[in-house]
Amino acid sequence: MDKSTIICRCEEISLEEIEKVISNGARTFDDIKRLTRCGMGPCQSKICNCLVAAAINEKTGTPFHEIPLPRMRMPISPIKLDTLATNSTTFSSVKSVLDEVELEDGKVR
Amino acid sequence: METSYETIIIGGGVVGSSIAYHLSERNKGGILVLDKKFPLSGTSGSTQAWVWVHNKTPSWYAEFSMYSAELYPYLSKKIGDVEYKRTGGLSPFFNEADREKALLLAKTYESIGIKIKVLTREEALEKEPSLNPEVAGATYSSIDGNVNPFRLVDRYMRAAKKNGVQYSTYNKVTEIQKLPGKFMVVSQKGTFQCKNLVLAGGTWSRELGKMVDITIPINQLRGQILVTEPLKPFLNYTISGLRQAFNGEVLIGYSMEKEGFNRATTLEVMQETANLAVHYVPSLRKAKVVRAFSGIRAMPEDGFPILGRIPGVENLFVAATHSGVTLSPLIGTLMTELILDGDTSIPIDRYSITRFNNMETK
Repeated sequence: MDKSTIICRCEEISLEEIEKVISNGARTFDDIKRLTRCGMGPCQSKICNCLVAAAINEKTGTPFHEIPLPRMRMPISPIKLDTLATNSTTFSSVKSVLDEVELEDGKVR
Repeated sequence: METSYETIIIGGGVVGSSIAYHLSERNKGGILVLDKKFPLSGTSGSTQAWVWVHNKTPSWYAEFSMYSAELYPYLSKKIGDVEYKRTGGLSPFFNEADREKALLLAKTYESIGIKIKVLTREEALEKEPSLNPEVAGATYSSIDGNVNPFRLVDRYMRAAKKNGVQYSTYNKVTEIQKLPGKFMVVSQKGTFQCKNLVLAGGTWSRELGKMVDITIPINQLRGQILVTEPLKPFLNYTISGLRQAFNGEVLIGYSMEKEGFNRATTLEVMQETANLAVHYVPSLRKAKVVRAFSGIRAMPEDGFPILGRIPGVENLFVAATHSGVTLSPLIGTLMTELILDGDTSIPIDRYSITRFNNMETK
């Protein structure tokens, strides 16, 4: 592969950028992702994950079976917030900032 | 690789790397950062990364946060573009009853130099036209903002390395021995010795503390965040609960769960987070979510930073905190002063680990 080959199409990350962070110590797809944005776009690494594994293997000699897969997260395919929302306005785990402001004797602590 | 250093920092996250960088500005060489995995694989890489001041309580903690936020513009000149934006921070409220609390907050903080404005509904909507028209008002402060956490830690690391700092990653520390005048730090990849040792293990601080027989009371608090597809720039401010990044994606989340180190995302909290988003900014309904992720915050038992010397063990230091992104420029600066000069320009006694022992004896 040429150094200028685009590995991550969503974020337009080239092989050169990926090789650079591997030489800076990145060892997993997720390390590379955080430093370059490779795999952070709409496809969420479905396209680039094998290509990145190949780059890690080539640069470090790590056998493929020892290279961890990228962490897959919901939603596997993009969905609208409208679909996800239930339209409730009561929150339990989710807070607002004023919730966190503590009062003591009628004053802010 | 060398085995003898002036200072070893355990933990290469935003706190550890900031300390390494700030130390290296004055002492080139002789600094090693050990990380059990790779910087950004933990808390520092799974955050919305607000640089947030305006409704931290109590006021002395907000003041401390403000000093740190003030360092950001200069820091980004020194280490490079970290996509820091002082957008101003907006905390909407939807209940008129909250206005009183907001006014109290503004009044208290005026005395320490943090300007908070309590906005009317009209003012809030004028500032941020995308807000839900049902909003009752908002608190606003111009000092808040956000930063790209990946770039931040990467830039700290690069600047530190340029100044001679060494990083040893995927290298877990397994044992710490205190010998006269030095520490022996045993890691998976070898044994290192140093004069000064800094524990900056974030969520793993308790584990590190055990190696030197002290309790560093840091707990874990999970946060789940939704990321949208890139949208055209439309949010002017960092809103408590969501912010738009440079590339247009919107990060949404304000959840807190005690789940230990479990980094799963759950449908329930994702739905609640989606509800928060459409409640605050209704036009987000049409935006697509590309990813949910979760991060484990480091949460000190009383919520405040644990900084400074560890009493009784010479040259042993701890820096463990929540809000590491906001506080990292200041913590790096002050820990450097403490290690090299023996004192800090801004007092950090309040953040000493000894406060927990005091609590026990009460």
